Amino acid sequence: MTDTKEPLSFQGYRRPDGRAGIRNHILILPASVCASDTAEQIARQVEGAVSFHNQTGCSQVPSDMQYTMDVLAGFAANPNVYGTIVIALGCENCQCDLVVDAIRERTCKPLVSLVIQHEGGTIRTVEKAVRIARNMAAEASMAVKETISVSELILATECGGSDPTSGLAANPVIGCLCDRIIAAGGTAILSETTEFIGAEKILAKRAANQEVHDRILDIVARYEEHFRRNGENVRRGNPSPGNKEGGITTLEEKSLGCIHKGGSTEIKAVFDYGKQIPVTQKGLVIMDTPGNDPSSIAGMLAGGAQVCVFSSGRGTPLGSPIAPVIKITGNAGTWAVMEDNIDFDASSVITENRKPEDLSADLYQMLLSVCSGRLTKAELLGFTETAVMRACNYV
Amino acid sequence: MKKALLVHPADNVAVVTEEVAAGEQVEYDREGETVILTAAELVPVYHKIALRTLQKGEAVVKYGEIIGQAVCIIGKGNHVHCHNTDSFAIS
Repeated sequence: MTDTKEPLSFQGYRRPDGRAGIRNHILILPASVCASDTAEQIARQVEGAVSFHNQTGCSQVPSDMQYTMDVLAGFAANPNVYGTIVIALGCENCQCDLVVDAIRERTCKPLVSLVIQHEGGTIRTVEKAVRIARNMAAEASMAVKETISVSELILATECGGSDPTSGLAANPVIGCLCDRIIAAGGTAILSETTEFIGAEKILAKRAANQEVHDRILDIVARYEEHFRRNGENVRRGNPSPGNKEGGITTLEEKSLGCIHKGGSTEIKAVFDYGKQIPVTQKGLVIMDTPGNDPSSIAGMLAGGAQVCVFSSGRGTPLGSPIAPVIKITGNAGTWAVMEDNIDFDASSVITENRKPEDLSADLYQMLLSVCSGRLTKAELLGFTETAVMRACNYV
Repeated sequence: MKKALLVHPADNVAVVTEEVAAGEQVEYDREGETVILTAAELVPVYHKIALRTLQKGEAVVKYGEIIGQAVCIIGKGNHVHCHNTDSFAIS
């Protein structure tokens, strides 16, 4: 599968907790929606600082709040982050000290926290945080890149804005990329539990052991039950009329197109949303995430993925504040009109009958150059859209 | 010559990459070998064409996996879709 002459390393950053990153961000981390505008103002003033709008963090029941806590802690611990400044309002559910403790459970990297209600409002918080962030960014700028093995990569996979070319071209190319990364000793994450529905038994057959097999069936059953409690049946009306018009006949067929992006290797483990994937965990793993793109990607990045490969038939602009998202399409027309947002054209699988495996060699080269610092289209546009999985409505 | 994509060698359907009219020839690649069949009816772009006759109840295979079953006999070159194929997954 992997050519012996294929490069097996890239230039990245070694973190004090032992993990390897491919970016060197200062993360201004809003503990809740109420701290998000302040966090954004801080990040805008410091070169190298990033932030995002956290729409959750308050008015949440414990199970729902846990997803937010895991994304917050996981983002701070993500190896693409040099250090983190937590910005909390003060009265939210995701209390500043809880967030700090959750981060400390995952990493020993630089960490500072400020509470807006203690500092005396936004302007005082911004002034203090900008000075702290500036000093942290100066330290971060002195980090020296070193050679990192591909075996330390955790690759996140995602698909969104799908069309028939996703299952035919883009996802098979991503699947072959996953096989390459895994053959080189690395880790790949298959996500989007809602898109396993109908193919869960096929997926479960690929489990490394009985426990993983049962977990795959369980996460699908739990997701369906969640919808059922709200009076919805996700199997009904699926595939959608649009899917059928596009040529998808059954739910199995639709889901098979999606799970193709995990490649062909056995599934080693199943992780809950946003939970940290140990550095010792190699091979293909599943994370229980929604099909919703920004929240699924956030869960995998919280798990420790340094980079995401994202297939889109229609073309999507989505990025992330902390990790490069490499966009790939199998649709030649979409590539022609959406090239500003897409990094890799896989349409020759369809137009020229090229083999997904051959194209995945080119995608692998692009992935390594992105790992070594090449900016993706979403990074060049400064896109940071992020969401967190929800268990239920706001309180 | 119109083209179709065989996703997996075990598949008994292929996906046409452009619209194919009844009577038109379609070629696809099966592990390096070019195979030609004739479309029995119109097959829209990205829809499936039967590579051989499928008996009623027979599994329809794409991605090397069973995606449903034939609800009636499907002739070689026929359009394979909701009118003649049903899911196992709807509960």
